[in-house]
Amino acid sequence: MALHVEPDLDGAGPPPAIRAHGLVKSFGTLRAVDDVTFDLAPGRIYGLLGPNGSGKTTLIRLLTGLTVPTAGWAEVLGTRMPSRPNLGRIGYMTQTDGVYTALTVSENLHFFGAVYGVDGGEPVEHALGIVDLAGRRSSIVGTLSGGQRRRLSLACALIHRPPVLFLDEPTVGVDPLLRVQFWAHFRALTDAGTTIVVSSHVMDEADRCDELLFVRSGTIIARGTGQEIRVQAGTADLEQAFLRLGGNVEVTR
Amino acid sequence: MSRRRIVALFRRVVSEIRRDRPSLALLFIAPIVITGLVTFILRESQAPQVTAVVVNLAGPRGLAVGNALEAALRTDGATVSDVADEAAARAAIADKAASVGIVLRPGAASGGSLDVTVITNGLDPSGDVAQVSAIQRSVLAAATAATGTAIPAVNHATVYGTPTDDPVTTFAPAIVAFFAYFFVYILTGVSFLRERTGGTLERLMATPVTRGEVVLGYTLGFGLFATIQVAVLLLWALGSLHVGALGPLPAFSIGLGISASGSPILAFLVVVLLAVGAVSLGIFLSTFARTELQIIQFIPIVLAPQFLLSGVLFPVSSLPSILQPLVAIMPLNYAVDGLRQVFIRGADLGVPALQLDLAVLGIVAAFFATIAALTIRRDVV
Repeated sequence: MALHVEPDLDGAGPPPAIRAHGLVKSFGTLRAVDDVTFDLAPGRIYGLLGPNGSGKTTLIRLLTGLTVPTAGWAEVLGTRMPSRPNLGRIGYMTQTDGVYTALTVSENLHFFGAVYGVDGGEPVEHALGIVDLAGRRSSIVGTLSGGQRRRLSLACALIHRPPVLFLDEPTVGVDPLLRVQFWAHFRALTDAGTTIVVSSHVMDEADRCDELLFVRSGTIIARGTGQEIRVQAGTADLEQAFLRLGGNVEVTR
Repeated sequence: MSRRRIVALFRRVVSEIRRDRPSLALLFIAPIVITGLVTFILRESQAPQVTAVVVNLAGPRGLAVGNALEAALRTDGATVSDVADEAAARAAIADKAASVGIVLRPGAASGGSLDVTVITNGLDPSGDVAQVSAIQRSVLAAATAATGTAIPAVNHATVYGTPTDDPVTTFAPAIVAFFAYFFVYILTGVSFLRERTGGTLERLMATPVTRGEVVLGYTLGFGLFATIQVAVLLLWALGSLHVGALGPLPAFSIGLGISASGSPILAFLVVVLLAVGAVSLGIFLSTFARTELQIIQFIPIVLAPQFLLSGVLFPVSSLPSILQPLVAIMPLNYAVDGLRQVFIRGADLGVPALQLDLAVLGIVAAFFATIAALTIRRDVV
């Protein structure tokens, strides 16, 4: 059962940064994403929350145009996806690190910079600074810890300073201190106008988002701020709220 | 197509291979060691030693022929002894005391003719052939001595090149082409599989990079190493740098010193076209593999038939006619033929056979590059 969140038609706010309309993705008989419709406003952090296998990654892949919808459409910054030129305005941090382990940290950044059309040292230094990896710039990625690779993966998604950022479980394997820094940086980006979609199955990160979209079995079962959702579900605990709104679903912590 | 993105992909591939020492060894050292070993084996293989036991079952006439035959065999360097019967001859061969037995019997035809039966151990067909031909040579020499007629001398001339008994001349072009194909395929296949399974392809597809740019970047990157590999292999195969004796070290030469009559540049062109096709083949087949082991498992399916049907081991013309249509679709076949055209015939670009080889290799490279690009689907899942 899909919760349709109809677009704001009074024309008051800015145009949405990301739109989905009736998005469906089927793999055989499985509907991984099942009739999802929403508008996401620019300059905000949206949290996609749901258990493993609920369709979060497939939804992100549909929004980035990496997979073609079975039905419906997705739009980013006013352009229907998939659109290759539009990918230059999107940053995507994949769930796997997706970095070249035989190359150094700085070679990875220079490579993705060149691919996005932002060559040279300045963007690389900027990205290194954000993820605090400047001291490891010459290290071969294969020698880095899991958390360091995750940081590099984020840096590669930020290198071209995209106005829209999709982060698929960005803080997995990242230590608590750095996680705080990550979120501070996400906030700084949205203050500058960037729209961020973060997927997570960790509920304690949810309160850092401006708005939450609860995903279950490929559909959005609830949407709102953490507070709104707590009120709606009649509980002070987001995890409990998820269980009440979505039925008896086990949530991984 | 963006030149900047293609250059970025090219540089990335080059940096990765440059750091990968085992792959560099596979590209540059393995072919040199293997071609050197093959050349050494082919050139230095020892002539078979003939140790014959003779059984005369044909009385005095057999004795006269047997003595003449034994004399001819000894002149040829063989060791010869007499034994009483065929069973003794067979026992001597079984015990490895003798390499061949010769049994003289009265001939079936009248007129006092003789039958000569040659017995070998039957375990090594090519060794057996060498033994039998040594005996035939001696039978001919004995007959010449008995009749006093001189056998005409047989001289050898060739249409292309000069007569040579160096077996490496025809083998070298084939082995150079095969190595270029084999190693480039393995390296590209494994490298692209890592790209697919390591999540970097997913990430790359979420950037403005096009599939064509990816294939082109890879082709240029691996093409560069294939080009260097071919240059090194050709230098090694054709070169013969003499190194003088130094102290206790005897003089030796570096390089196989294979004689080639055509332009090394043309040979180079043939192999580079083949290697470009191999890059795309590696990308294409990595679609069907889930693990690096599976890239290796494609070798018997994809590379072994080419090895057998492209004149590397067996001349294409000697293959059964039912296999000839398959030969016609083996890319390696055109590279091996092209290299032989250049090396042995000294062909230049005006020779139609070489034109055909280059055209087919170019079409194959373009075809595989296209299907490789098509397999890099955005819709990966």
